[in-house]
Amino acid sequence: MENIGLENIALFSGLILSLVGLWGLLTQKNIIKMIVGFALLDTGIHLIMIAVGYVKNSTAPIIGEGVTKANAADVIADPIPQALVLTAIVIGLGITALMLAYAVKMHQKKKSLDINHYKDLKW
Amino acid sequence: MVGPIYIIAIALGLAFLLGFFKKLNANIAQTFMMAGVGAMSFISVQWLFGHLAGMVTETVTYTAGFKPPFSISLQMGAMEAGVTSMINIFGFLGGVYLWRKLKEMGLNAIIIYMVTLMGLNVIVLTRDLFNLFVFLEVSTIGIVGLILLERGVNTISSGFKYLVAGGVISSFMLIGTIMIYKYAGSLYINDIITSNIAATKGGMVALFLLLIAVILELKPFPANGWALDVYESANSGISAFLSAGFATAMLFVLYKLMPMFPIEWQAMVAVVGGITFIGANLLGIRQKNAQRLLGYSSAGQMGLLTAVIGLSSYLNEQFIFILVTILLGHYLAKAGLFWLAGIVKEKEINSWSLLRREPLLVVLFGVFILTLLGMPPFPSFFGKWELIMKLAAGGQTTWILAILIGSFLEAVYLFKWFGYVLKGENEGLPVLQIKPEKIISPVVFATVSVMAGYYAGSLLGETNFAFYIPLMFIAAIGLLEFLPAFVKNTFAIAGMGYLAYTTLPGLFETDLLRFIFMGIFILGGILTLFAGYYYKGKRQGFYPSALIMFAGLAGIIQAETLLQFFFSWELMTIGSYFLIIRGKRSMTHGFSYMLFSLAGAYAILAAFGMVDAQVGNMLSALGGVTSHATLIFALLAIGFMTKTATLGLHIWLPGAHAEAESDVSPMVSAILLKAGVFGLLLTFFGMGAESAGNSSILYVLGWLGAITALVGNLAASFQEDAKRLLAYSSIGQLGYILFAYAMATQLGWIGGFLYVINHFAFKAILFLTIGAVVLRVKTHNMYEMGGLIKRMPLAFIAALIGIIALSGVPPLSGFAGKWFFYNAVILKGWYFQGAVVFFAGVIAFLYSYRILQTVFLGQLKDEHRHVKEIPLTFLIPIYILVIGIMIFSMYTHWVLEPITQYLTAYFPSDPVHWDGAAATTSLGYWNGTWVMYIIGIMFVLILGWLLWLNAKATKVKQFNMVFSGERPFTPETTHMAHNMYAGYNKALGFITAPGITTFWNKVAEFVTDAAGFIRRIYTGNGQTYAFHIVAYIVIIYFMIF
Amino acid sequence: MVKNLYIILVLVGLGFMFYTFADGFESADKLNPVAERYAKQGPDEVGAANLVTAVVVTYRGLDTLGEVTILFLSAAIVAFFLKVTYGEEEKRQTRSVSEIMQTAARLLTPAVFLLGIYVFINGHLTPGGGFQGGAIIASGLVLMLLAKPNMKVSHTLIHVVESISGLAFVFIGVLGILYAGGFLDNSLMGMGTLGSLLSAGVIPLIYIFVGLKVGAELSNIVAHLQESQNEA
Repeated sequence: MENIGLENIALFSGLILSLVGLWGLLTQKNIIKMIVGFALLDTGIHLIMIAVGYVKNSTAPIIGEGVTKANAADVIADPIPQALVLTAIVIGLGITALMLAYAVKMHQKKKSLDINHYKDLKW
Repeated sequence: MVGPIYIIAIALGLAFLLGFFKKLNANIAQTFMMAGVGAMSFISVQWLFGHLAGMVTETVTYTAGFKPPFSISLQMGAMEAGVTSMINIFGFLGGVYLWRKLKEMGLNAIIIYMVTLMGLNVIVLTRDLFNLFVFLEVSTIGIVGLILLERGVNTISSGFKYLVAGGVISSFMLIGTIMIYKYAGSLYINDIITSNIAATKGGMVALFLLLIAVILELKPFPANGWALDVYESANSGISAFLSAGFATAMLFVLYKLMPMFPIEWQAMVAVVGGITFIGANLLGIRQKNAQRLLGYSSAGQMGLLTAVIGLSSYLNEQFIFILVTILLGHYLAKAGLFWLAGIVKEKEINSWSLLRREPLLVVLFGVFILTLLGMPPFPSFFGKWELIMKLAAGGQTTWILAILIGSFLEAVYLFKWFGYVLKGENEGLPVLQIKPEKIISPVVFATVSVMAGYYAGSLLGETNFAFYIPLMFIAAIGLLEFLPAFVKNTFAIAGMGYLAYTTLPGLFETDLLRFIFMGIFILGGILTLFAGYYYKGKRQGFYPSALIMFAGLAGIIQAETLLQFFFSWELMTIGSYFLIIRGKRSMTHGFSYMLFSLAGAYAILAAFGMVDAQVGNMLSALGGVTSHATLIFALLAIGFMTKTATLGLHIWLPGAHAEAESDVSPMVSAILLKAGVFGLLLTFFGMGAESAGNSSILYVLGWLGAITALVGNLAASFQEDAKRLLAYSSIGQLGYILFAYAMATQLGWIGGFLYVINHFAFKAILFLTIGAVVLRVKTHNMYEMGGLIKRMPLAFIAALIGIIALSGVPPLSGFAGKWFFYNAVILKGWYFQGAVVFFAGVIAFLYSYRILQTVFLGQLKDEHRHVKEIPLTFLIPIYILVIGIMIFSMYTHWVLEPITQYLTAYFPSDPVHWDGAAATTSLGYWNGTWVMYIIGIMFVLILGWLLWLNAKATKVKQFNMVFSGERPFTPETTHMAHNMYAGYNKALGFITAPGITTFWNKVAEFVTDAAGFIRRIYTGNGQTYAFHIVAYIVIIYFMIF
Repeated sequence: MVKNLYIILVLVGLGFMFYTFADGFESADKLNPVAERYAKQGPDEVGAANLVTAVVVTYRGLDTLGEVTILFLSAAIVAFFLKVTYGEEEKRQTRSVSEIMQTAARLLTPAVFLLGIYVFINGHLTPGGGFQGGAIIASGLVLMLLAKPNMKVSHTLIHVVESISGLAFVFIGVLGILYAGGFLDNSLMGMGTLGSLLSAGVIPLIYIFVGLKVGAELSNIVAHLQESQNEA
């Protein structure tokens, strides 16, 4: 591949980052580390989203320097994924906050952050 | 119409507004919330009614003033209106239910509840893929918040598991969504459907990720451990929310998105759903915790519905009907059961016997369990029926099998649970405290379930109003539960009388077969009900149950279509189950009765499906079946034989009949068993014995009948329990009947009819008599009785006559039966089987003699010295039957001649010739009237002679007797009663060894062991659950790509 | 460990699945029709120079409302969950905060707040907007909390700000149904000239409320997480 563009790098690192995050989520026994894994997974996905919105040789979708109303359609990147990623980030933040709140409470209850200690319910 | 956007505006506006008043009185805040949810319900319900009335069409609301795909749009079609109505009404009632809890937890809880509900609404309404994702997250987060209404460590850790699992699932959903956008260039669902992005590999994978994420939200087996923990540990109101609200919305999402996916994936969706349906229900069998059990059941139901969506191409125009009715059944039942779980507060299902403290709760529980199982008259019954019919039409036999197996497994644990509720020990359990707000919602849902059942039935256009009249009558009786038993008894008898008046004359004109069975059902019903006057008090639950059974019995006679027949068949099964389980130690027997009956019913259902696919839904069209005729014939035979308790399928009968109440035993034995016979006859008449396959099945059935007769009679002889003896005797007698009909000759069938009528009469006499004796002496054991002839001469005479009729001794009709029987055997040439049956007839004398000898003859026990004659309320029906059997024996030709003529249509050769009371065959002749005269005269002569001799006799006291030259000094029992046939038992007992019971026990053990083994995948570790999810995705991916 | 092996196996499988996305991935040469319309008509229809903002606040306004709802829910749940029992007035023992930290915080916090406000007010013109601005404001609060661990945050103030801005958002949306093309329609107010502060219809208004709301909610979450540490 002679022309590896920015978007390929973003996509690749996004995919790999999400796999790494998933690995952390699935293997780390410490709840906080699991949450970190989840945050990585999330971030990876956000990178993927940004990569998807890229249009070759384009610029930010803001009308101003170099972008006019007339040529906007030809020079800007896709604004939709950028809007979506904003939403996704906020959602991820909300979930992470909740996970942390749960972690705090679980620690208060059992004085442990090991996920293996929380399997009283099973079968 | 108020637009759907206001659902969002109201919910969020209120939520933000309430945030203002952090210190607001919780009561006021909650009233606001309920008003908001009420308004949301109003909006969706008005759309629903608009759609139903045809006043509105599918309406799309655009946001931001732009058309899609440029902005997000909400669609309010009929389905959306229905589903949001379900969600919002549930939300409202759930809010009522949670009133106290939400108030206690404060303003934030109230807000979270309302916003979560709003999120579910948008999931249903939105037509934008990313918007769907956003509001799915709103709902997920909201539920994670609602889980926290309980603060135990298990609840919190289950919430964390849910959060992790939900996070992983939504990550995949997000990747899928954004990749779909990349390939389709739009997030508008309609655009994606038309864009054919599955053409590229990447687009395909993107669609796959989205689909699998939606499926995972429906908790597919085995990647659903995270949800089960929440179901188990969350507040029951929230578990209900998850099961009835969230799952409903997610199912709709799957439905909504299905057109986006390649058509070939439908099979995958169906398989995933099918595996979940069977797997979750299998694991449910081992579950003891009520809420977790409901969780399994919830997953199972969602699996079934997923399968339905996957199978939509076979279901054609009925797809929506099936989907909606089954969904509605799940929704109503699951919400109701979770709500009940919150009232009971007992975790283990065997503590649910607590419900009995409040009969209303038992009724609600029953309604929900039956709704869940798809029993009539509830909506899911019609859904499941149509599902099977359509699958059969599409030739999907494997799917029919899978769905029936799953349903059966579900029935196993639900009826086990039901058994605990009805019969479990409830001593020592805490007091049941019912808060008023907690009972309203279940009551509403149960009512809706009944009404929806009626509506669903009428949509099919099958169940005409007439089918609901008996049910309404029963409901009316149910409402009169507070009245004393004798009043209700009178109503019940009057109802039966009315039924007789309206149906019997007409049937007499048109259809003799149905007339005979209807006569047995109604006449028997009235007579056995009459015995019920004996019972004092209210006798709660008896009358509705008995009448449901009789309504079902009458229904199977009157049914014209397959659906009507099956509807009534199931109704009868339910009613008889309730009756049987009323006995003192009947819990396990009622359970096994139900399992055999349901398995049989499913066999019938499968057969009906195949019939319907070929010749339509008329019962009379059975004969037109051409392909798979042998299979259908066999399935029907097996199905009906579960009710006739043919050997192999009989193990439920002895316990069920013996442990039942004194007047229930004759109902279920003399009357109910005939329903199976009627079914067999319908099959034989309808499908005939002509085709080669059928005749070989009939040959097998003949042997089966013969062996059943032998084993049943032999086992009856070895019983110590009088009612068990009669129960085994029923098995034997039904063996005769099966044998007679299996011969498929005119003589055989005449004999069969004779046996049917005869068995009805004498078994009713014997069970009523012995039942009444048991009521008096308070024991079932025959060796604890004896000499009762002195205290109960009338009972003895009745029993004697019953026994004479049973054993086929002249002059009673049993003899006539044997006469036809042997004629038929000889003409048919079934000598070996005939020999077995003949031998069985000899053995019948053993138990016939035993019951007379041990109960009525011999020494009177000390404690029975003052026992009274059996109650008059029993004597009256008994003697009516005695007189009836006398007349029938004398004028057998009154009945048999028309039957002969009736059968001529099927067997034109006509080997019987009737001349007055005399029947002539090529082998000889027989005249019932003359036999009666001659025997009668002989009897009078001998009796007179004996009386004359007796006048000179002296009574021998015990101390007058001398044994081997010794005289006893203390009173001794000289009455040989216990283990009476020890010698025979040594010689022949091996035949009655409970091999079949052991076999079925092994089957049950194997299934529960399998369930116990498989469920170990649910380790309880949240990380493992997350791994299950990822592995599930990857495995399915590699299976379909 | 065998289990880790399974996990590796599954993740490798997942990698294969993802590879289909990366394989031959190429950016588009031009915008898809939807985006193209946004680019062409957006400046006129919505009047926002920042097209992302136009998409976020107007075209996909419902998403944004959902997003706000999620934050609101998260904040409510965290508050509901970590409800602090102020029973025992036992102060948490913290290490004393360094002088540098304290001074810097005192100096920087107002500036950070101001920056946040600037970011959300100019959301329709420059990169940024309500969420970004709100996050900046909340980070100002984090800074304050780092400097003074035992500081009490006024929850009442937070709630009032949160509620008013939330209500206003919904209210503007409903006004859109009544007086313009639909829920959250931007054309409720005049478009103004493209690129000036008072342009883009109601977007600046919405973004101000979103900014305040997000700031309040994030502060709320942070404050609750912080206070709950006082509990055993």
